[in-house]
Amino acid sequence: MTIDARATRPATTGALTRIVNVARLHLTQKGTLLVLPWLILGFIFLVNLLIWWILASALPPADRFDAEEGMQFSGASMFIFVYMLVVAVQAINATFPFALGYGVTRRDFYLGSSLTFVLLSLYYALGMTLLAELERATGGWGLGGAMFDVVFFDAGTPLQRFALFLLAFLFFFFVGAATAAVYVRWRSRGMLVFFAALALITVGLAWLATDTGSWPLIGGWFTENGALGVAIWSLVPSTAAAIAGLVLIRGATPRT
Amino acid sequence: MSTVIEVSGLSKRFGKVVALDNVSFSVGQNKICGLLGRNGAGKTTLMQLLTGQQFATSGTIEIFGRSPVETASVLERICFIKESQTYPEDFCVKHVFASAPWFFGGWDAGFADQLIDDFRIPTNRRVKKLSRGQLSAVGVVVGLASRAPLTFFDEPYLGLDAVARQTFYDRLLEDYAEHPRTVILSTHLIDEVSNLLEHVIVLDQGRVIIDGAADDVRSSATTVVGPRDAVDAFVGDRAALSRQGVGGLASVTIHALTSDERHAAGDAGLELSPVSLQQLIIHRTNSSSREFEQSA
Repeated sequence: MTIDARATRPATTGALTRIVNVARLHLTQKGTLLVLPWLILGFIFLVNLLIWWILASALPPADRFDAEEGMQFSGASMFIFVYMLVVAVQAINATFPFALGYGVTRRDFYLGSSLTFVLLSLYYALGMTLLAELERATGGWGLGGAMFDVVFFDAGTPLQRFALFLLAFLFFFFVGAATAAVYVRWRSRGMLVFFAALALITVGLAWLATDTGSWPLIGGWFTENGALGVAIWSLVPSTAAAIAGLVLIRGATPRT
Repeated sequence: MSTVIEVSGLSKRFGKVVALDNVSFSVGQNKICGLLGRNGAGKTTLMQLLTGQQFATSGTIEIFGRSPVETASVLERICFIKESQTYPEDFCVKHVFASAPWFFGGWDAGFADQLIDDFRIPTNRRVKKLSRGQLSAVGVVVGLASRAPLTFFDEPYLGLDAVARQTFYDRLLEDYAEHPRTVILSTHLIDEVSNLLEHVIVLDQGRVIIDGAADDVRSSATTVVGPRDAVDAFVGDRAALSRQGVGGLASVTIHALTSDERHAAGDAGLELSPVSLQQLIIHRTNSSSREFEQSA
């Protein structure tokens, strides 16, 4: 029997086009991915603004400095990073079976998703940098408040700050991608094992640090490297998570 | 004849459950092939294997001459519409149709619009808010308008009414005539699609029990009707696929007869009637499960 002559031809669309198309598929949901997080962050900002205003009008000028110092540790903007982890989980989990039905390979799906996450990281890092600069320029929105220009994101020049935000977003996106890949591959059983293992490892490491008395050393490492240094080191776990995600997805099957 | 699907010795186990057991068959280019069988017969698993969504336990699959698993050049020519298709969160119907052309080179937007009208699909609605029938219609539109060289429909019309189902059959045949392609159609509504099919594969408990041209399959059995004594005398030692009787009348379905035998039946005052594909499959799946129980 003869096999169709077109059988062994290469794919008509190039690998890059296929990957970009997967990114376009993800970015179809513009509202959820590009707008909604800013709206939520805007709401958090408004609540913070209210608090700053109350503090500014209630505290005597002598105590202001202390209050502003304390606000340096505000975690109000942390929400957006955790949200991006959830976005990554959702994007992988909800789009995987759909993309396979459209004849996308697992590899192209994962690379296209990764491209989406890198683009979103750039987009949100840019936004956060602009807000942080604005916060600095306006003296904490005229109230001495701090939400974006805080100690965790302290990194000298605006460009360095942008790099820091970018690295932080990449970390959360790819940890989310790897987590989603565990779920897509092994479902809830995989999640149970994954989180149990994660808890054991975390507790184990904490115990090791306590037992060997190395907490001061670890704290020293963080202060020594500074926020940007730590962020650059985050490339190690981010890359590991990205690779793990690809390996896991390549063996995953959609739920029937 | 070019072969599009070539499967040999294919088995798939999920733990202890054997979903497919040593399945072999091939499907030629530009055929409409019915993949039929009862619930749990392994139809969906087979289609997931053919589209590279599942991994085979053993055996080989060649689609357009290559394994479909992670092969972009094969997968880009496949469209798989399944009954349980999930869509990304917050997807509207229009997003489905807007994104389809990025993945299907042969997508025909004009044809898609016509089908959207035919099925009265509300394009601004979220996919999550669609009724069962509308959801099926979205899948049918993608499957037809994609014009993929190999299109799989797995129970494509759950919840679709009779009018919409007829529309699907009509559009499929019209478009197939102009743009020939290979279509694999899995369904329970065997009689409805019977006229569409050129090739029939019937699965039962993970095994292929019928594989052949639809016409051959249909003419592979006949029903003999008449007075009980005359029917019994005529059937004799022949294997009966099914036997029914009311009062002094009997109706027995047996394997196909030669023309001499048909004359003999006429002389004996018996009536011969064709067996519908659906009845034939019911008889064959019943008898195969009886054999299975006996051998177990």
